[in-house]
Amino acid sequence: MPRAEEYVDRVVETDLLVVGSEGAGAQVAIEAANRGVRPLVITKGAIGRTGASQCAGADFNVDGISAKELGFSGDDRDSQERFFSDIIHEGLFLNNQKMVEKYVEYAPKSTKNLLDWGMRVYYYASVHSEEIARGLTSSGKRWVNALRKKFKSMKLPIIEDTMVVDLLVSSGRIAGAVALDFRSGEIILIKAKAVVLATGGFQMAYPFNSATYDLTGDGQAMAARIGVPLIGMEMVQFIPTTILWPPMERGSIITYIFTELDTRVRLLNSLGQRFMSRYDPKMLEKSTKEIVSIASELEVMAGRGTPHGGVYFSMKYLGEEELERMKNGIIGLTKSLGETRYEFKTLLPRLIEFMKKEDIEVSNACHFMVGGIKVNELTETEIPGLYAAGECSGGLWGANRVAAACTQVGVQGLIAGKISPEFIKRVDQEEITPGDVKKIVERIEGPFKREKGMKVEELRRYIHDISGKRLGVIRDGKGIKEAIDMLKEAVEEVPKLYVSDKRSRKLNREWIGCLEMENMLTCLYATAIASSVRKEGRGAFYRSDFVLTNHDNFLKNTIVRVKQGKFEVGFEPIVTTTLPLPKGKMTFEEAVGVATASLVREDANKGV
Amino acid sequence: MEEKKIKVECFRYCPETDDAPYYVTYEIPLAGRMSVLDCLNYIRENLDPGLTYFINCRKGFCARCALEVDGKKVLGCTCEVKGDIKVKPIREDKVIKDLWCKNI
Ligand SMILES: Cc1cc2nc3c(=O)[nH]c(=O)nc-3n(C[C@H](O)[C@H](O)[C@H](O)COP(=O)(O)OP(=O)(O)OC[C@H]3O[C@@H](n4cnc5c(N)ncnc54)[C@H](O)[C@@H]3O)c2cc1C
Repeated sequence: MPRAEEYVDRVVETDLLVVGSEGAGAQVAIEAANRGVRPLVITKGAIGRTGASQCAGADFNVDGISAKELGFSGDDRDSQERFFSDIIHEGLFLNNQKMVEKYVEYAPKSTKNLLDWGMRVYYYASVHSEEIARGLTSSGKRWVNALRKKFKSMKLPIIEDTMVVDLLVSSGRIAGAVALDFRSGEIILIKAKAVVLATGGFQMAYPFNSATYDLTGDGQAMAARIGVPLIGMEMVQFIPTTILWPPMERGSIITYIFTELDTRVRLLNSLGQRFMSRYDPKMLEKSTKEIVSIASELEVMAGRGTPHGGVYFSMKYLGEEELERMKNGIIGLTKSLGETRYEFKTLLPRLIEFMKKEDIEVSNACHFMVGGIKVNELTETEIPGLYAAGECSGGLWGANRVAAACTQVGVQGLIAGKISPEFIKRVDQEEITPGDVKKIVERIEGPFKREKGMKVEELRRYIHDISGKRLGVIRDGKGIKEAIDMLKEAVEEVPKLYVSDKRSRKLNREWIGCLEMENMLTCLYATAIASSVRKEGRGAFYRSDFVLTNHDNFLKNTIVRVKQGKFEVGFEPIVTTTLPLPKGKMTFEEAVGVATASLVREDANKGV
Repeated sequence: MEEKKIKVECFRYCPETDDAPYYVTYEIPLAGRMSVLDCLNYIRENLDPGLTYFINCRKGFCARCALEVDGKKVLGCTCEVKGDIKVKPIREDKVIKDLWCKNI
């Protein structure tokens, strides 16, 4: 049998392979290097210019006491215990409490790193109307630029525009990975003693999303293929009032951010009715994200949606003069803050100008993956040498996330960067099994070598129809069952996928698309089967056929495993430490009340 | 509503298979406000899956979709299209394939 090296175009060796270069990945590499280990980062994009991190708002959380120690105003009423408890209430008790403890404990350290590396902050405040101010607001660009600068100053190795396709395991331990270099079209074998997955979410599996093109669930799917379980995959967070139409602004959440800054926005259905009055008469548009999402979806389902299937974001009633004032105010503010982001500097003023005459179509965009690769509080997976950090991991947020994901990815990056070197120093490089490499290379090359079959674009439309219509904000048993059946059919098509443009292996988007498709399908399938067994409503998860939040039967985590190519779904008990789990059942509204108890919810009718 | 059609003239070149660059013109519907990137996406999704260009964030963050449109250097995602356009790579001498250049 040939050696493993003979199946590939290039071989690289490293102690620690970090997959993903952003909020989580860059922090892993920096911390591991500080601890005497040589990391290698591989990323599908270019560092600081890829993934969700660059787009983030972005807010960072620390408890009020630690905030004071970092030099911000802080809040004496706060404590780490209180922060811990708030996060678990927001997650409706599904959180891994050990992970929440680590989040709260490491948040100040992770934030301090970023400040030390030059990330500037706009202000310190309560970001999501928490009663306690715990948020530092910066921007995604400032964040990733600070990380990139630090990373570059340490001269850490990185391979960009390259996709890790599969992980290699020998004798039950991580041995490396196989990757495809987009620019050269070469297949690379990476030998590594440990791997950290920091690959972000799978938003691209949804037709309408707020994220970037590279987020296709590669980390989750790669982990699943080597038998690592996924946790809480039914928990997908949608963000309301994201621009749906026109195409040029599609997927921008600037409208959502705007609703947090200015509360005069009205949401209207196609009949011109301010529909929130039916769903939350007291809070109206200022209701929670979940309720606004569900209400908008119900309006569309009832036939009162906009031409492109959303609702209207409207400020016309304020009159042209007031909107002109608003626009100039924003232009002035962005100037004084030194704001350079296109969405704030250019797009927002343009939208306000536009809104003098017309309303904007908005809808619920797939935004954040609450579930993901199952890890413990030390970012370890079930396979020795494999870690997951950041949005690709699951368990921290339970059923919903309110606190900062930006802090999550930094905290978990820090922990993975601290823990993995300890492992690396104890072990030797595992022998790589040539047959494993051969199989992966054949899978990669399959679509390029096939002369006919199905185009990936066709399959993309098909799966987007499934996720968009059946695995969205409102689900039900019938739709979930259809989704499972249709996804099974889609999986059958994967071996038929072929690349029609065979001019070159270099920068072949169709080819890359085929590899990503398989990963998106794995994630969606996991989402569908996890949704099928959670027969209740909780946090980000809403089923029209089971609306109650049922503590007696469903205070447990869904777990999806792939065994010999077959998916299995089951439950595991929640990891708890100090916060006892509740009993009984709650209406969805009562559950929302619990989840938002730490927020200040002013009456929207006051003074309007 | 009558759909407006526009012509997108696109630079194509694959150094491995082509002796010289050439242009292909695609006719596409202009549906609502569209960016240059929306046009290229339309072409790739409906007419020519091989058309190669860079896309990531769609909102001006990554700034890697730099192109030359009608002689001007722009970002594909933030440049609005109003009528026929001619799209070229940002550096013709740096092309890896079609509109995607080295070192962007
Ligand atoms: C528009 C938007 C706004 C947001 N705003 C906020 C906010 O205000 N506050 C907040 O707390 N959170 C916010 N979030 C969420 C937060 O930004 C993300 O959860 C977080 O940045 C994720 O960081 P990450 O490092 O885990 O993943 P990402 O930043 O998504 O990075 C993942 C990286 O992995 C790479 N990758 C993926 N697959 C592979 C592969 N196979 N091989 C090699 N590389 C791979 C990708 O190319 C990418 O570079 C927002 C998200 C979005 C989309």
